[in-house]
Amino acid sequence: MKKLKILCSSIILFLLFFTISCSINIIPTAEVNYVSGKEGTITMRAIGIGTNQENAIIDAEENVFNVIFFRGLPESEQKIALIGTNETEEKEKHKEYFENFYKNKKYRTFVMSSIPTSDLTKHKGGKKSITVDVKINLVALRKDLEQHNIIRKFGF
Amino acid sequence: MNMKSIYFILAIILLQTSLINSVFCQNSATNSGGQVIVVQPKIMVIPYTKEGEDLRTVLENDENKRIAIAKIKDGFDSRGFTTVDFVAKLKAAKDNNLFTSDNQSDMKSQIIQMSGADVYVQAEVIVEKGESGNSVKLILTAYEASTGNSLSNKVGESGKFYTDDFNKLASKAAENCIEDFLNVMQTKFTDIVNNGKSVIIDISFGVESQYKMSSEIGSYGLPLSDQIEIWIEENSYKNNYHIQGTTDLRMIFDDVKIPLKNQVTGNNYSPNKFALELFKFFKSLGLQPHKDVKGSTIYITIK
Repeated sequence: MKKLKILCSSIILFLLFFTISCSINIIPTAEVNYVSGKEGTITMRAIGIGTNQENAIIDAEENVFNVIFFRGLPESEQKIALIGTNETEEKEKHKEYFENFYKNKKYRTFVMSSIPTSDLTKHKGGKKSITVDVKINLVALRKDLEQHNIIRKFGF
Repeated sequence: MNMKSIYFILAIILLQTSLINSVFCQNSATNSGGQVIVVQPKIMVIPYTKEGEDLRTVLENDENKRIAIAKIKDGFDSRGFTTVDFVAKLKAAKDNNLFTSDNQSDMKSQIIQMSGADVYVQAEVIVEKGESGNSVKLILTAYEASTGNSLSNKVGESGKFYTDDFNKLASKAAENCIEDFLNVMQTKFTDIVNNGKSVIIDISFGVESQYKMSSEIGSYGLPLSDQIEIWIEENSYKNNYHIQGTTDLRMIFDDVKIPLKNQVTGNNYSPNKFALELFKFFKSLGLQPHKDVKGSTIYITIK
C-alpha cells in the first residue's frame, strides 16, 4: 500500500512538473533600445537569445532589424516603422526578399558593427542570452528597400 | 441605302478615326511603351519671416538661415528628391519684376504661386545666447500650398555649447530633426497615394448669371447645390470630400480627394482633368460654365 502511495504521488509530481515545463514558452520580446544615431547610422542595444553565443548574437541582430522594420524606435530618427506595423502581412507580401534578408544573412551587409556588451548568461532550459550593441547603415538599408520596392521612394 | 452611300459613310468613319488617332495618340518620339511615372510634388524650402521683414534681404543677411535651408535641402537630396531652389526663384522674380506689391507676406505667397510649388517647407531659425552656453533651435513646418494641410512639423535643437560658431549649431539643429521630419512627410505622402490628393473647388456665378444655387434645374428639377454635391459625392476619390460652405451665390468644397492616377488607364490624373469632368457635368445640366485651375484649386463660374 505504501509503495502504491509513493508511486501515485511520484506520477502526480511528474505530471505536475511536465505541465509546468510545457507552459513555459519563450515570448518574442523586442528588447531593443536606442543608443545613438548620426549621419544615416543608428546604434541600438539589443538582447539576443540562443543556444550559444553565435546564435544569441544573430538573434540580437535580427531583433534590431525587426524593430526598425515593423515597430520603429522611439528617441531615434526612425520613430516610425520603416516598412509597416503589420509584420505578418509585410513578410508574406515580400517573402522572397525577407528569406534572402534573414536566411541568407543579407542583413549582415547593413551591420556596421556588432559588439557584445555583456557576458553570455545562462537561462533555464539551456537557453543563453547576450546583450549586443548593433550599429546599422540606415541610409543603405532604406535604399535597398526602395530598390526592391518594399517601401516607396520619397514623394508620391 | 445603296452601296455607294455605305462606302461613303465608312470612308468618313475611317477618316475621322485616323484624324482622332493622329491628334490624341502619343507620337513615336515620346512614346514610353505604356510606362507611367507618377508626377512628383514640387517642394520649396523657404525661410520664416516676421511681419514686415524684407524677404529679399533676410537670407542675404542671415547666414544661419542659409545654412539651415541648405541642410534641409541636403536632407531631401539624400532621399533622392530635388527641391525647387528658393533663392533662384527669388532672383528670377526680382529680375522679371514679378512682384506686384511691396507687402512682404503677399510677396511670399507670390513666390510660392509663381514657383508652382505643391509643398513648401518653412524654416525658422532661433538663436539663443546664454551664460550656460549658446544654442540654435530650428522649427520646420511643411504645408500643402493649395490647401494649407500640414504635412510635418518638427523642432530641432542643437543643444547648448560654449561656442560662438552659430553656423555649426544651426547645422546640428537641422541634422537632429531632418530625418524624422522627412519620415513624417513620407507617411503623409503615402496617405495621399492611398487616399488621393486634395483639391479645392470654388463654384460661383457670373455677374449677369440668371442662376443661383437654389435654382431648380436639370431633368429632375433638383436644386443646383444638391446636384453638385451628389456629383462630387459620386466622383470624389473614395467618396471623400468636405464642404466649407454653401450660399445662394457660392459653393466651396475645401477638400475634395482625387486619385493620383486614372483608375482605368493608370495615367497621371491632374486637377485639370477633374475640372474637365466637372465642366462636362455642368454642360449636361444645360449650364454655361467657365473653368480656371490654379495649382490645386478649381474655379467654376457659371455664366
